[in-house]
Amino acid sequence: MRHTGFTVHDGLLLAQGLGVSLGLFAGTFALGLVLGSAAAVVRHFRVPALGAALHAGLELLRNSPVLVQLFLVFFGIPALIHQPLTPVVAAGVTLSANTAAFVYFIAVAGLDAVGRDQVEAARVYGFSRAQLVRHILAPQAAAFALGPLVGLAVNQLQVTSLVSVIGVMDLTKAGDILNLRTLRPFAVWTMVGALYFAAAKGLTLLGHHWERRLRAHAPPLGF
Amino acid sequence: MRFDLTVLLPHLDALLAGVLLTAEVCALGIVGAFALGTGLGLAATTHGWPGRLARFYVDVFRNVPFVVQVFFLYYGLPEVGVYIDAFWTGVMALTLVGGAYASDVVRSGILAIEPGVVEAARVSGLSRLSIFRRIVLPIALRTALQPLGSVFVNLVLSSSILSMITLDEVTGAARGVAAETYRPFEVYAFLLVAYAGLTYAVSLGVGALHRRLNRHLVAGGRA
Repeated sequence: MRHTGFTVHDGLLLAQGLGVSLGLFAGTFALGLVLGSAAAVVRHFRVPALGAALHAGLELLRNSPVLVQLFLVFFGIPALIHQPLTPVVAAGVTLSANTAAFVYFIAVAGLDAVGRDQVEAARVYGFSRAQLVRHILAPQAAAFALGPLVGLAVNQLQVTSLVSVIGVMDLTKAGDILNLRTLRPFAVWTMVGALYFAAAKGLTLLGHHWERRLRAHAPPLGF
Repeated sequence: MRFDLTVLLPHLDALLAGVLLTAEVCALGIVGAFALGTGLGLAATTHGWPGRLARFYVDVFRNVPFVVQVFFLYYGLPEVGVYIDAFWTGVMALTLVGGAYASDVVRSGILAIEPGVVEAARVSGLSRLSIFRRIVLPIALRTALQPLGSVFVNLVLSSSILSMITLDEVTGAARGVAAETYRPFEVYAFLLVAYAGLTYAVSLGVGALHRRLNRHLVAGGRA
């Protein structure tokens, strides 16, 4: 008996893979958002040494292939520290750091877009640095950065497809498994592609929805 | 384990061969992406069905992960009787995805042209073809040069994914060296920095070209 036809369980396998991809994306994007924004604030206040080091490191991450970063973390770091990493941890670390690198450059541009006169005015009123970030810089920078961040999110969702190489059971890996059994790569990769496409489209719609809501309270951007 | 880059020395020829293959596939891919992107970008500015078709194409190729596209082309197409080797599949994949990204850039370059310029050309009696060839395209490409540069840089980074369809470009070669030397950290750290250096050089070159092409727009004729 041959088991090469598509069954209901294949649908479940793909759905499970999609869930892993989306979960990995959500987790690493959230972490990257926090880390990247924090690095941008460090840069904004010109913290000596730390700011420059962060800038150089994140520039390196932004300008190298994610695949190589994954290999470095998954194969390279365990060889150096003699401690094995699980595929999910390696994928999480790599994607978070990579997202942080892109968020950093978007956030730096957003912070720079806030007028210096506003910062001066806040200083005159006796705002502390934390207050300045919370009430003046962050809201305006966020409104400025939302558009690019939605684009980045769609991109990073696609980047998660690379983690299948180090053995994470994401949507691409599910496609791989399905392909090995059914030997129908044309249909399998079309389905996998369609699922990624639908996820990316959904994410874009969601992003635009949030963008409209956040912008509703933001002053019109003066560019 | 100590960090020791000298372990790479005996394998420099393998890595160099990989660099050459990366350069070859990227050069062909960039030329293809530029041509396809210009055509698609022009089509996308029209209102009829060519415009709709071009926008749909861009939408699909921007929202499906590159790995899935590559797997579809390399493993899926033979199922319907189209056999292409890994190298040309790589060139095709880079052309198709790069064309989608480049077309967006070219399209906004065309849309940014002041209508008065085209009107003036039309009043002067230039044919539609010469308006496009001598007025629209040069201006649009000059505006688009810098974003096009980053599209091409991203293409070079994406080409690392071609190692997953047995193409031994520099990432594929590095995997071999890592397996042979058991020194994955050194190998991938070196590769990371090499890619970053390469992309940095490309963006420096694009910046210089941009300044040169736009020098007449700067007061005093100097950038």
